[in-house]
Amino acid sequence: MRLLLVEDDRLLAEGLSGQLGKAGFSVDTTSTAREAMILGKQEDYRAIILDLGLPDGNGLDVLRKWRQLNIGFPVLILTARGDWHDKVEGLKAGADDYLAKPFQTEELIARLNAIVRRSEGRIHSLVKAGGYELDENRQSLKSDNGTEHSLTGTEFRLLRCLMSRPGHVFSKEQLMEQLYNLNDTPNDNVIEAYIRRLRKLVGNETISTRRGQGYLFNDAI
Amino acid sequence: MLFRKPASVKGTLLVLLLPAGIALMGFAWLVHGLLLDRMSRDFVETRLEDEVAFLERQIRSSNGRLDSLQTGDYFQEVFHHAFAIHAPSRTIISPDSWAPVLKSLIESGRDGTLRLQDVDVPGAPEDVLAYRKSFQVGNTPIMVIVSEDLGALKRSQAELHAWTAIVSTLLVLLLVVVIWFGINFSLRPVVKLKATLKKLQDGKVSRIHVRAPEEFRPMVEQLNQLLDSLDQRLERSRDALANLSHSVKTPIAAVRQVLEDTSRPLSDDLRRQMTARLNDIDKQLEAEMRRSRFAGPQLGKSAYPQKQARDLLWMLGRLYPEKSFELSSSLPEDARWPIEEHDLNEIMGNLLDNAGKWSDRCVELSLAQHSDTLQIEVLDDGPGVIDAEIGKLGQRGLRLDEQTPGHGLGLAIVREIVERYGGALHFSATGARGLRAKVVMSSTG
Repeated sequence: MRLLLVEDDRLLAEGLSGQLGKAGFSVDTTSTAREAMILGKQEDYRAIILDLGLPDGNGLDVLRKWRQLNIGFPVLILTARGDWHDKVEGLKAGADDYLAKPFQTEELIARLNAIVRRSEGRIHSLVKAGGYELDENRQSLKSDNGTEHSLTGTEFRLLRCLMSRPGHVFSKEQLMEQLYNLNDTPNDNVIEAYIRRLRKLVGNETISTRRGQGYLFNDAI
Repeated sequence: MLFRKPASVKGTLLVLLLPAGIALMGFAWLVHGLLLDRMSRDFVETRLEDEVAFLERQIRSSNGRLDSLQTGDYFQEVFHHAFAIHAPSRTIISPDSWAPVLKSLIESGRDGTLRLQDVDVPGAPEDVLAYRKSFQVGNTPIMVIVSEDLGALKRSQAELHAWTAIVSTLLVLLLVVVIWFGINFSLRPVVKLKATLKKLQDGKVSRIHVRAPEEFRPMVEQLNQLLDSLDQRLERSRDALANLSHSVKTPIAAVRQVLEDTSRPLSDDLRRQMTARLNDIDKQLEAEMRRSRFAGPQLGKSAYPQKQARDLLWMLGRLYPEKSFELSSSLPEDARWPIEEHDLNEIMGNLLDNAGKWSDRCVELSLAQHSDTLQIEVLDDGPGVIDAEIGKLGQRGLRLDEQTPGHGLGLAIVREIVERYGGALHFSATGARGLRAKVVMSSTG
């Protein structure tokens, strides 16, 4: 399994590439953002380990460029900054996982295997309807004007259900199956609350109510 | 710009009050002049009318015989006015120098109040106000005119008006002095405040103790609060650094000792021990760094809980792809909470991360705001914690290495932040399985 390690601390990079080699990866190592950018574009890696604080730039910018170019290999961010905000930013930039330094090599390898496994057989699956695009891997909704909204699990599942068959009326009972809820008895109100939230994202007309029947996604608008 | 806005309160007050005072005085003076003019004319007119009536009565009582009237200077001396009595047989005019003026009035043929200006007769006054009345005694038509020299009146009026101007000017000067003193007096506490601030800067005092006027009291209180929180922060960061260096330096010394001894082979056991020491350093560093990062309640800091919650839920959903992270919230999308953004992230992030680690397939975050409390609740469907252990979750004082694995540092940090905000963190069991973590804080900051 080919793997790119972007890390500017020589001692850490050498030690890691040795241990990753033992774990069955064939590792390319680079210490600069520029080289990482080029390698990422040219080579076909199964996964990338990316340090954020590089001497010639920010790893996040490199990651964003890769994702803009539709380079989809799984990326694990390795950084000394373990703030929640940094994690959110890292994942929003397109990372698949996030590991704070210092870490144990076993954990790194376990996480690497996990993101590689997740990416296997993963096709760039998009559900498109109307002016909206639902990205399954990122669990997010992109609209025509380029804005991206991150969704919670249930929001995503409800929207995927509605958008999979635009114009088809789904009953509340059908939609209820998409709910994961800790309440013992999910009721109609919960569905209504979710629909209200989704309408805030896609607009009131896009999700129409059929009184007594259910809801439908209107892709004509 | 012609007028620069004055920088000081004193300057502003002076610039506003002085011209206003002067303008008002000037206006009062003008009004005074107008009223004076009108009043004296009304007064003169009534007097002239009265005198005409008096003469009429005299003439009537003498049955129209003008000769029997006591002429001569009598009327002039009594009234100080010039007059003319005209009958077909005879015309009496007194004093003689007024004759041309009064004659022209007799010939004018109009009764009532008359005014003659710019009279060009030597010896006669230039500006004359007269009252003319015609009546009949028996069959004889008689006409009476009484007149006054307005010029003289105007001169004395002007003198009075000039005196008023002098008095007004004096009053304005007095007003300036009063305003000056008023401003200085009312700004005295501010000067004192300024002096105290200077002392504060020089380190001569540590807090501001000044009896400030009502308007400045909140400011002084806020300043003192700010100083308190600065002191506390300094103290906390010193404590944290002292703890850190204490707990970090010993393991560093141990590891260095081993590495410096070149004759000692690095056995597996030694490696494990060294790794354990480095792990200790890392844990201490992490704990103290995260503690030193919280802001605590702070003025002018607020966060959007809904947006931050969504970001965190989405992120954890990506990190635990097989689990579902849900939000249930009754807040409006743009609600603001008086909690510093990073602190709120730590609270929600740690609770969610902990729930995510233990949950089976679903974690739910609920946000709510009641009249004066904020509420954050995280539920998971994991194995839960047995009752005896629940009280120990996130306990301060429990050393990091003594805490239950998993429910580690994160919960202790949440508890500390929440306490800093005067709130409380409770854990309880939910139904058959799972754990409910509930944070309640005051919404007034």
